Amino acid sequence: MKITLDKILTEYADQVYEAARLRRNGVQTASELVSATMLAELEAIGDAMRYLNSDGKIAWKATPQLRDYLMDLELDSEADLEDF
Amino acid sequence: MRISNILGRELITIPFSTEALQANLRRLQNEWDTVQASRDRNSIYQYLAAVFETVMAWAKEGRAVNRAHRALHLRGFPLLREPEPFAAVILCTADRDKVDSRTRSKWSRVLRYAAAYKDLDEPLLDFIKRKGGINECASRYARRLGRSQSKT
Repeated sequence: MKITLDKILTEYADQVYEAARLRRNGVQTASELVSATMLAELEAIGDAMRYLNSDGKIAWKATPQLRDYLMDLELDSEADLEDF
Repeated sequence: MRISNILGRELITIPFSTEALQANLRRLQNEWDTVQASRDRNSIYQYLAAVFETVMAWAKEGRAVNRAHRALHLRGFPLLREPEPFAAVILCTADRDKVDSRTRSKWSRVLRYAAAYKDLDEPLLDFIKRKGGINECASRYARRLGRSQSKT
């Protein structure tokens, strides 16, 4: 099963996979497994949710909670940049 | 996490933990709170769409009744043998002082009607309005599907 992720979760998964790959010293880690583990953790803390996409398949997206958090971070960083 | 390899095809099942269920219910409660704080008369559709989206994903995984059961248990409600998932999720996430059992039942019928007839890519708000509104959708459900009682 291919795991379908929205843009935010795809970026998260890429970072988590890269970190896992670096920790493993060359031992292969299936990216789908890394994504699945990450999604289970994000879902448990309310940052990711499963939904039915327009193809009628289960897909994953960031929740409003995570989107709001990222938006706050972005606004903070823009404010910091202006202060600088 | 269950991973198997059948005929070269990898299957990954991501478990739905109790923490995940709690997070789902919290998210829907937040949607309810947003509706309560809003003066927009269409804001109720935002809450109903969130409930619909959640239960439809559960149903796709064949776990809607099971997870509705778990949700009722988590929130300390009396357990039914086979709860109706939309009604159960509304009971667990909307304010019971503001949503009585008749309203809950009506919204549940609307969402079951949408589950049966709405295209996947049509927003719930558009569908319900196109079909004449919440009351009309509830009536349509009763006329077309009420007797067969198809489970989500």
